[in-house]
Amino acid sequence: MQKKRNRAGPPQQEAASDDGEMSDSSDKMEVAQGKGKSAVKRAPDADEVLRPVKLSKSDLYKPPTNDELNRLKETEHLFHTNLLRMQIEELLQEVKLKEKRRKTIDGFLREINTLLGTIPETPQTDLTDQTWLPDSIKVPILQVPYQVKGKFCFLPPSSIKVVGSYLLGTCIKPEINVDLAVTMPQEILQAKDNLNQRYSRKRALYLAHIASHLANNELFSSVKFTYMNSNHLKPVLLLRPYGKDEKLVTVRIHVCPPPGFFKISRLYPNKNNVRTAWYTEQETEGVNEPPTPHYNNTILSDLTLEHHLHHLSNCASDFPGMKDAVALLKVWLHQRQLDKGYGCFNGFLAAMLISYLLSKNKINKVMSGYQVLRNTLQFLATTDLTVNGITMATSTDSSLPSLHDFHEAFQVVFVDPLGVVNLCADMTTNKYHQIQFEARESLKVLDDTSADGFHLLLMVPKPFVRTFDHVFHLTNVSKLQGTCKKMKLLNQLIDQGGDYLATSLPYVLSILSKGLGPRVALLSHTLPHRPEWDIGEEPAKHRDSSLLSVGLLLEAELHTSVLEKGPAADSSQALDFRAFWGEKSELRRFQDGSICEAVVWPGSSLCEKRKVPELIVKYLLELHADIPESCISYTGNVLDCVLTRGKEAGTEEEKMVGIIQSYDDLSRKLWNLTDLPLTVTSVQGTHPCLRYSDVFPPLPVKPDWSSYQLLREKKCLVPNPEKPCPAYVAPVKVICHMEGSGKWPQDKDAIKRVKAAFQIRLAELLRAQHQLLCNPSATHTDVYKDGYVFRVQVAYHREPQYMKEIVTPEGMLKYQDTEESLQLELETLHLPSLTSTLHGLHQQHPAFGGTSRMAKRWIHSQLLGDSFSEECVDLLVAHLFLHPAPYSPPSSPQVGFLRFLHLLATFDWKNSPLIVNLNGELKGPDYTEIQNDFISARAQLPVMFIATPKDKKDSLWTKTQPTAQILQRLIVLCLESLRALEQQLMDPSGSQDYKMTFRPPLDLYDILIRLNPKQIPRHREAVDQPAKSFFRGLLKEGAQVKDLMFPVVGYDPVQCYLQELREAYGEFALFFHDKHGGDVIGVLWKPSGFEPQPFKTTNMTGRVMDGKSAKPLLVPNVEAIVEDFEILGEGLVASVEARTERWSI
Amino acid sequence: MYKMAPARQCSTLAAPAGYTAVPVKFSEERRTHHYLYVKEHKVREELDQTRPQNRTLFVLNVPPYCTKESLFQIFTSCSPVELVELQDKPGPSEPQSNTVSQHFGRRQLKGFKVAYVVFKHPSGVQAFKSLKVKKPIVLSEVSHSIKTGINKWVDDYRASLTGTAELQAEVDEFMKGYDERVAEEEEKANEEEGVPDEEGWVKVTRKGRRPGLARTEAVNIRVTEREKRKRAQKELLNFYAWQHRESKREHLAELRKKFEEDKQKIALMRAQRKFRPF
Repeated sequence: MQKKRNRAGPPQQEAASDDGEMSDSSDKMEVAQGKGKSAVKRAPDADEVLRPVKLSKSDLYKPPTNDELNRLKETEHLFHTNLLRMQIEELLQEVKLKEKRRKTIDGFLREINTLLGTIPETPQTDLTDQTWLPDSIKVPILQVPYQVKGKFCFLPPSSIKVVGSYLLGTCIKPEINVDLAVTMPQEILQAKDNLNQRYSRKRALYLAHIASHLANNELFSSVKFTYMNSNHLKPVLLLRPYGKDEKLVTVRIHVCPPPGFFKISRLYPNKNNVRTAWYTEQETEGVNEPPTPHYNNTILSDLTLEHHLHHLSNCASDFPGMKDAVALLKVWLHQRQLDKGYGCFNGFLAAMLISYLLSKNKINKVMSGYQVLRNTLQFLATTDLTVNGITMATSTDSSLPSLHDFHEAFQVVFVDPLGVVNLCADMTTNKYHQIQFEARESLKVLDDTSADGFHLLLMVPKPFVRTFDHVFHLTNVSKLQGTCKKMKLLNQLIDQGGDYLATSLPYVLSILSKGLGPRVALLSHTLPHRPEWDIGEEPAKHRDSSLLSVGLLLEAELHTSVLEKGPAADSSQALDFRAFWGEKSELRRFQDGSICEAVVWPGSSLCEKRKVPELIVKYLLELHADIPESCISYTGNVLDCVLTRGKEAGTEEEKMVGIIQSYDDLSRKLWNLTDLPLTVTSVQGTHPCLRYSDVFPPLPVKPDWSSYQLLREKKCLVPNPEKPCPAYVAPVKVICHMEGSGKWPQDKDAIKRVKAAFQIRLAELLRAQHQLLCNPSATHTDVYKDGYVFRVQVAYHREPQYMKEIVTPEGMLKYQDTEESLQLELETLHLPSLTSTLHGLHQQHPAFGGTSRMAKRWIHSQLLGDSFSEECVDLLVAHLFLHPAPYSPPSSPQVGFLRFLHLLATFDWKNSPLIVNLNGELKGPDYTEIQNDFISARAQLPVMFIATPKDKKDSLWTKTQPTAQILQRLIVLCLESLRALEQQLMDPSGSQDYKMTFRPPLDLYDILIRLNPKQIPRHREAVDQPAKSFFRGLLKEGAQVKDLMFPVVGYDPVQCYLQELREAYGEFALFFHDKHGGDVIGVLWKPSGFEPQPFKTTNMTGRVMDGKSAKPLLVPNVEAIVEDFEILGEGLVASVEARTERWSI
Repeated sequence: MYKMAPARQCSTLAAPAGYTAVPVKFSEERRTHHYLYVKEHKVREELDQTRPQNRTLFVLNVPPYCTKESLFQIFTSCSPVELVELQDKPGPSEPQSNTVSQHFGRRQLKGFKVAYVVFKHPSGVQAFKSLKVKKPIVLSEVSHSIKTGINKWVDDYRASLTGTAELQAEVDEFMKGYDERVAEEEEKANEEEGVPDEEGWVKVTRKGRRPGLARTEAVNIRVTEREKRKRAQKELLNFYAWQHRESKREHLAELRKKFEEDKQKIALMRAQRKFRPF
């Protein structure tokens, strides 16, 4: 029998093979790429591993050269460390435009320049008469209302200039934009063009005519329109070169008025330039015309394009650090998704800010890019431009608008050097606060010497959905029209030219901020973004803007509070409070006797409490903004559904509290036991539910005798093979340390016996003194208490010591780790301390438990749960909370889970240890020590290396598992799940089946063993609610029981079966199963097991002599093995599906 | 030899040299079978009294569900069997069951096993050799069925519930023996106290009026540490000019080493394209 393997088969199959080294994984990854399933980074080759550096003595001690000293000194002054300097240099090299490319672009620009000069003139027509435009071109502006006075004719531009980042040399790859400012000749414009969008219309027509002449030119691969920064009054023309440089550059053509054409004082923020009568197309007599600051600002920014360029190039001259800093800031902003869309903080703004800091002497021209970046962040972090705006104006002209005028008109104020344009006109308060928040967080990271600041600041993307704890979307943006009406925002709407999204956004956000109050640390939104469109299409409408998402960064403690306490009933604020909360507001009497207005939200369980922010958002938006609930897609808690068991609602956090109370009571009883020969020194639980991270915590059980066999003399129940398997009762393990004493024997076997005697004694005493049902055995005592079963295990702290003893031939007593002693230490020493530490972590970060449970649930659901220890996952999750940078610690399990996937998938397991600084015990030198130890011993260490303060060298929890192949497989799954999940969470119009990522692909397994649900005790825990349920021998909670019998503990036939399979056939196959209610076992053949082998007595396990080949070789007896699967699992196995197309016998 | 046999038979009954293949299957209705590979038990030195060479068979590839009883049945059909022993690996038999306790350190046999079958008479071996197996032998017959799956696990569960009294009795017995042993050793040590052996050496123990240092690794390390510390205290640092020079040189060397390490890291990151921000 020969087994043929399909080499090009799916990568997962390969990934599970047990032999081979880590380097194998790279080929496998490539296969995955070939399939095009996910954009996986190419795994590094085998030789790309960090090795300890060895320098020869002569190299180390040779006299230093001047250059070397200079560089070392410079580094010390200008950068944090050498490494940071080199990293920044590398990054800049990567993003900056190469000189060669620059030449290509220059050539392209010259050609455009000549083309623009040859565009023919058109005769003068009314603005509204657009018949002269060819049908294939649509005017790139929304002409609402259509009627407008004025004449238009096309004349060749009076000047064409390159402006912006390309000239300054601050543009960065991959999106190189070159801005071309085309000045309209004066003759086109008329005296009152600043009024009623006339200028904007002319600008658009001018652009349309240019577009119509460039449209069919073969120089361009595409000619498109878009709005500059998504501001619908400012269309620009996008030109991309034809051929191989298509992706290289986008030329943006801006049209601007001749300098000095408009009287600037008419465009001050308190002036009106759009008449209400014109906009509403109704006669409105005697209305006070409202100021139109945003409209004015768009015209002004066109007027000042050139001036700003001069200003910036003055600053940038002999200031190399500025170019670097702008490039770095752009990267920083881009990673945080702050640099695109309406009201963004773009590169231009960054450059302006740096020039401001330069003018204020906060930075100087000798600073390095890194220092400038740092200072800029420092400035952003500490200055609130929404309250204290800044201006660069130097003139003392008193006629210029004051900062106060700007604050009246705009939310964020940053005035340009002329003193008239607000550069942050479109930015919302919330966005600016987000920028401030990011800057603050980034500075913290930079100050933390143990973190890799460069990586976290500049290399890690922070997508919206992973940054905020809760995210919700407005699925129907056009509903905001109603909001404008409801909030009476007509004046603002006129100012924004009808852009209801931009108009209502600040108001909606302020209502939410007020309503959520201290529950949120930060409330922000995605920037409205309008796509590009073809020149033949109608311009993008307001409703076309990408959907608006709002993100909430929650306060861990406060966001679940169910009570909103208002002012006292008789105070003057009470009315406001009632108006704000509407009918939800009610009078309540509080414990201190006061009677206050209050709003109470439902919150009987933690799962419900997590929904409070959602309720508030939905309620307030409906009440104040007329946005119905159906238009809000709140995705903050959608993954909670994977933590519910069966039909029960809720995520069972309360159940764990119940167990912990019962456990506390038990430990008190153990402490106070009288008549024990030695006293109890400590009682420590080790079960995951005692650190809130058990996926499905044990439930209190009351067995129904009729479903069991009775063992009267031992007062125990035994499962009945005829009946459905009884519900799984997980023993909650508790380690009980006994006092050290001379009475303990000094021999490991004797200690075991004494411990057994203690177990018996414990059982007797608990029974006698506390009437608890106990069941002692040699290694532990099971205690049935409050419906839970605790497994108390007696421990003696010196026992591992005795296990390690070895006497050398010289008669010296030596201690050497043995497997037995390590195991015992793990159970009685490390696990209890980890459990209590993580318990503490959960108290600090209430989302820890939920995140960990979700992560475990996911790993199990992918059938890989048996390859990762519970503690390993817990530590990974703890890392998210203890080292959250560049994020803040998650406050909702869902976002924690997303970050978990991201961490697992992107961490460089090969070259770095994952350091989890529990309790903050590790200090600076410890980090380097761990790093160095890791690098020098890499080959001997486990593939996943997790270091904690108590475990710097061994990575206890990943020592044996996972293997490189399993880890590789999990990483592939992580990337795919993360991608799918984030897409789902950000796109409410798509599939709403969030459990999708929790269903494993089964097509890669060679054999599927289907199990009979009747014998799966945890079937209810399955991801998808099973159709059929069985009576599992449990009584309802309140039922009366006449006599207590010990329930069946820790009996799971599926686990027994898996163990037998792995013991017998581990050499040939890997077995995958989801212990939480999975009804299938996936079997994957190992290629190594199928290789024919010569005869040896030791490998004669399940093999058969291959008589056909010339040499007598052994091959696995596959048919018999497959049938054995059925035999061993009699009663449990429903069917064994061999997928013969995948392997042949 | 098997080359000359017809192809079909050779594929079913091929066996390594010296072994005979015996097909066995779990029950009548099963389609596939495993093979037991059986040969005479031969070792160079006969250490084991329970496995006389002339009447013992060595059986390889015993399937996981196969029990002592079923093997017993199979081989009894040739000749009366005295003893069947199952083991994980070939080798001398494990300690007798009366020293291995019921509750401590009992090991379950896992997966495929090997077996030693001892016949009552030497003729058994011959009887087996002359046996011609035509169709697979059924292991789990109605009369003595093998329990697998749910039934087996329920039985295992029942067996795992220990009787307190037995456990206590076993512990008491062991501890009695242990105490006696310890007392004996102590007495012996007391006797030898201060008494020189035949070469005249006197053994110093932890007991007695002037106990010597315990001979453990920890103590050794502690002693050397203390010595080192003492020496370090006496040393003067940055006292002489050359020491100053030296420490400066060391500092520079340290910086250089760090620089080299950083360069290596950067090179690695560059190779992994870690500097592409987007």
